[in-house]
Amino acid sequence: MKNVVIAGYVRTPFTMARKGALARVRPDDLAAAAVRGLLAKTGVDGTEIEDLVLGCAFPEGEQGFNMARLVVLMADLPIAVAGVTLNRFCGSSMQAIHQAAGAIQMNAGHAFICAGVESMSRVPMPGFNPSPNPVLYQERPEAYISMGITAENLAKKYSISRQEQEALAVVSHQKAAAAQAAGRFDDEIIAVGEVTQDGCIRPETTADTLAGLKLAFDEQGSVTAGTSSPLTDGAAAALVCSEEFAKANGLPVLARIKSVAVAGCAPEIMGIGPVNATLKALARAGLKAADLDLIELNEAFAAQAIPCVRDLGLDMARINLDGGAIALGHPLGATGARITGKVAALLKREGKQFGLATQCIGGGQGIATILEAV
Amino acid sequence: MEIRKVAVIGAGVMGAGIAAHIANAGVPVVLLDIVPPAAENRNTLAEGAVQKLLKSDPAAFMHPRNARLVTTGNLEDDLALVADCDWIIEAIIERLDLKQDLYQRLDQVRRADAVVSSNTSTIPLQALVAGLPENFAKNFLITHFFNPPRYMRLLEITGGEKTRPEALEAVSRFCDHKLGKGVIHCKDTPAFIANRIGIFWMQVAVLEAMEMGLSVEAADAVMGKPVGVPKTGVFGLLDLVGIDLMPHLMKSMLDALPEGDAFRAKAGMPDLIATMIRDGYTGRKGKGGFYRLNRSHGQKLKESIDLASGEYHASVPANLASVKASARGGLGALIGHPDQGGQYAWRVLSQVLAYAAALVPQIADDITAVDKAMRLGFNWKFGPFELIDQIGAAHFAEKLATDNQPVPALLQQAAAAGGFYRVQDGQLEYLDTAGPYRTLERPEGVLLLEDIKRASQPLLKNASASLWDIGDGVVCLEFTSKMNALDPQILELAMQAIPLVKSRYKALVIYNEGSNFSVGANLGLLLFSANMASWQQIESMIEAGQNTYTALRYAPFPVVGAPSGMALGGGCEILLHCDAVQAHAETYMGLVEVGVGLIPGWGGCKEMLQRWVTNPKRPGGPMPPVIKCFETLSTATVAKSAQEARDYLFLRPQDSITMNRERLLADAKASALRLVEGYQPPEPVEISLPGPTALAAMTMAVHDFHTMGRATDHDVTVSLALAEVLSGGDTDMTETLDEQALLALEREQFMQLLHDNHTLARMEHMLETGKPLRN
Repeated sequence: MKNVVIAGYVRTPFTMARKGALARVRPDDLAAAAVRGLLAKTGVDGTEIEDLVLGCAFPEGEQGFNMARLVVLMADLPIAVAGVTLNRFCGSSMQAIHQAAGAIQMNAGHAFICAGVESMSRVPMPGFNPSPNPVLYQERPEAYISMGITAENLAKKYSISRQEQEALAVVSHQKAAAAQAAGRFDDEIIAVGEVTQDGCIRPETTADTLAGLKLAFDEQGSVTAGTSSPLTDGAAAALVCSEEFAKANGLPVLARIKSVAVAGCAPEIMGIGPVNATLKALARAGLKAADLDLIELNEAFAAQAIPCVRDLGLDMARINLDGGAIALGHPLGATGARITGKVAALLKREGKQFGLATQCIGGGQGIATILEAV
Repeated sequence: MEIRKVAVIGAGVMGAGIAAHIANAGVPVVLLDIVPPAAENRNTLAEGAVQKLLKSDPAAFMHPRNARLVTTGNLEDDLALVADCDWIIEAIIERLDLKQDLYQRLDQVRRADAVVSSNTSTIPLQALVAGLPENFAKNFLITHFFNPPRYMRLLEITGGEKTRPEALEAVSRFCDHKLGKGVIHCKDTPAFIANRIGIFWMQVAVLEAMEMGLSVEAADAVMGKPVGVPKTGVFGLLDLVGIDLMPHLMKSMLDALPEGDAFRAKAGMPDLIATMIRDGYTGRKGKGGFYRLNRSHGQKLKESIDLASGEYHASVPANLASVKASARGGLGALIGHPDQGGQYAWRVLSQVLAYAAALVPQIADDITAVDKAMRLGFNWKFGPFELIDQIGAAHFAEKLATDNQPVPALLQQAAAAGGFYRVQDGQLEYLDTAGPYRTLERPEGVLLLEDIKRASQPLLKNASASLWDIGDGVVCLEFTSKMNALDPQILELAMQAIPLVKSRYKALVIYNEGSNFSVGANLGLLLFSANMASWQQIESMIEAGQNTYTALRYAPFPVVGAPSGMALGGGCEILLHCDAVQAHAETYMGLVEVGVGLIPGWGGCKEMLQRWVTNPKRPGGPMPPVIKCFETLSTATVAKSAQEARDYLFLRPQDSITMNRERLLADAKASALRLVEGYQPPEPVEISLPGPTALAAMTMAVHDFHTMGRATDHDVTVSLALAEVLSGGDTDMTETLDEQALLALEREQFMQLLHDNHTLARMEHMLETGKPLRN
């Protein structure tokens, strides 16, 4: 079978929904900016691209039509490049990478742009016309459960105190702030107009400031806005291609895809989704959790990330080196490409061998990708 | 000359508030202030003022969008911005040298015919224009606004000898029509009219209470409702405006008042007040005032100061026989009562009313200007001369004489003539200083039901409503029930009006002159019927309301609603069924039924759904209109102005806004008459709704809010009943729902809620406390 590699990764700045600097930018423009940036950075020949696979969690309104095809046109890719928009909620753009990898291995193309975008300013969660199936809602209300409540459920189930959650949030902000200050994001961020920097990071965050926040979802609970990822606008894109194509074209290979997996779990504790997905991916890669040198674990909520770390027995020191989504933000459809691209880039930067990108998905799922150094 | 652009110099509380209100009128306004020393942002004062205005409560802007009409700047760089302004208002600090210096600078840049006015309350006009060019003086006047400028309707205006009549006329007209002010032409005398009398009143009321050893609670209980003054009375009012203002007011009055003015003898500051100010007890903005809320024991305890010792104690509601007597016997019974309250009322009112009588024509041409100034500037229900008439002018004069107090000449004249006002041939007349009575003329475009009622008999009338012929073929439906609460009799009269108007008239206007258009259905009646389990009767009342409102909607003539003040619940729903609404700018519309555990049952849900579904500007898809209605109704949202009511679709594009309360009826009548020619009743609207899908979506939201702690248990029940109606019930997107189907849903859910004890508890609580119960 062909080897599949990540041969480039970029993202736009991530900024707060509504209040942030990108609130007035259309999501298709955000995605096009990321794709253009990726093309420029990798120097890949556009005519070699088979398909633009674009993840988005609420593909309606300005994210509607078949946004991927429109982004092909907006980014001036050759007319022959196809486009598909896909939705696996927060796992959308990691799914884009999996889909491309599968296609490459079955010889359905050798180079793909795998991108993701969400403007949570302009297409608010849960979309403009939330239309749940009334019968399903009656029989399985958890199918539509709000994300905050799933975090509360995990906090209860795993007895995770508010202080524990806040400690994780503080560290996330510290790491992101340090990375920003040291210019460690410069290599991955593509400016959108005048906007060149992330907007969600709060270096001043302390346990004390977080302790003062109100409970966000359950007046009897423990989760606050400070221990949840913020509503965010942003896009990310990765170049996924066969290893031989990358070598033949002199592309800067970041990492090889070792294995992938998705797995369902109970919707009311969707945040635990990464555990089974990761276990499956590890088994497919023939690895153990201890073999993972680097991990990007999406921090949808601190109350969800901590149980995943516990159940998988992960080493905190290896997770989210430059901060997680609580600090950086979580533009739903864009996050999968960000964390997968980030692991690939980190393997190279840190000179490590194995890396994992994994995240939870609303409705009760997890998705995982294991990468290895080339 | 028409005023199209205005500048305000001075971005303090008054200047900024005036600028905001000019923006409320849709007129662009420039707001300038000085550059503070070492300021990084040279426009910081004006810009900061606009930011503060946007956060002020009650709101200075009628819509946040109006802030965009305010251009901010500073006096050093931006003075040229006033060059194309038709009116420049100076509202800087009360220092003659600074004002004159500013006028010199303004005169360099202003257009030759631009009017300049000062918002001074203490400096005479003659002094302000002294030494300034002739053309400046010709275009100069004083416009005295009251705080807060959006809400206080009084505007005192005066020109000097040299002032062009056209300048005075243009500004008066603008303030009347565009700013909605009651414009009172006064003389250039100290503190003009309202403050001259009002400050005297406050000071006398304080001094007499202290001298008599009255508690502040007792003083305010007398000097409030019994005399037609807001319930803050005097001590509560001083807490509100700031006690530290008093010494400044006294000083400026003493500086300006003529020798021998009765005020001079009263202008001393009591030691207690000086001590309070020194220690920071300046009222609500300070550590406390005559009253304070003591939070030290975990709960809010209302305390009052002891005027003798200066110590606070728990407030005790006053229990005065005189106050009770006044409820039945009026002002005469109050001042004639032997208890402390009666004596206090007499001691204060005798001085204040006599002072007012002695000041006409010195401060105003006639008594109506004084009465109106006190009504609009101090929110008195009656002006001083109206109060004297309530006592009886002759009786009042006698009582003064008995007390060895001087009886002013004008009062003697009134005593002899039989009062300050009289009604002759259905016309209100007032006593003219120069001799006999004169008819009170209303300005063109002012039509008052009060005048019509004085001069005619109602076409139809019952205990809760009347129908009046307001001329030109237009009939007015007036609510007369307590608080204008809607009840079966109002519905009945509205139904009777339809054949009457159809056969003999052209159009119907729904309007009244209460302080609120209507705060909703008669809750007491509803609760009584529910407690008696008269379900049949309740359901027929709900149906009667729906049928009446529907009949008004499809009546073969135009129906125009003309609200002012609150239009809530059923009061809002009747307006939603009118062909057009002519709303006073200070109209507060909302469907607030959930507050008493109910949902709109007189077509409010139906109307709001239809409006949102058919609104061409709404987001696409079946859910947004349902969600919009749900958000607005489930939170009992009340629009805080007529402008804001448009955002919620309580008002539509074809509905209009009148700034001046006194012009509302004439505007509504004109609006109705415009619709007469070729009038066709509206076509019934049918809409499609998502049914169970929408209900599921709203149910999810309700449960999330409950978990968050933002919705109570009964909120959940009420919200779900509302969701049931707004979803369209057992329907589907492929079906259409007519009005009757939606009305039937409203009735069904309304009746179910009424069977719930938690709803009854909410109603009872609202009736007893005036506040919603959060059960």
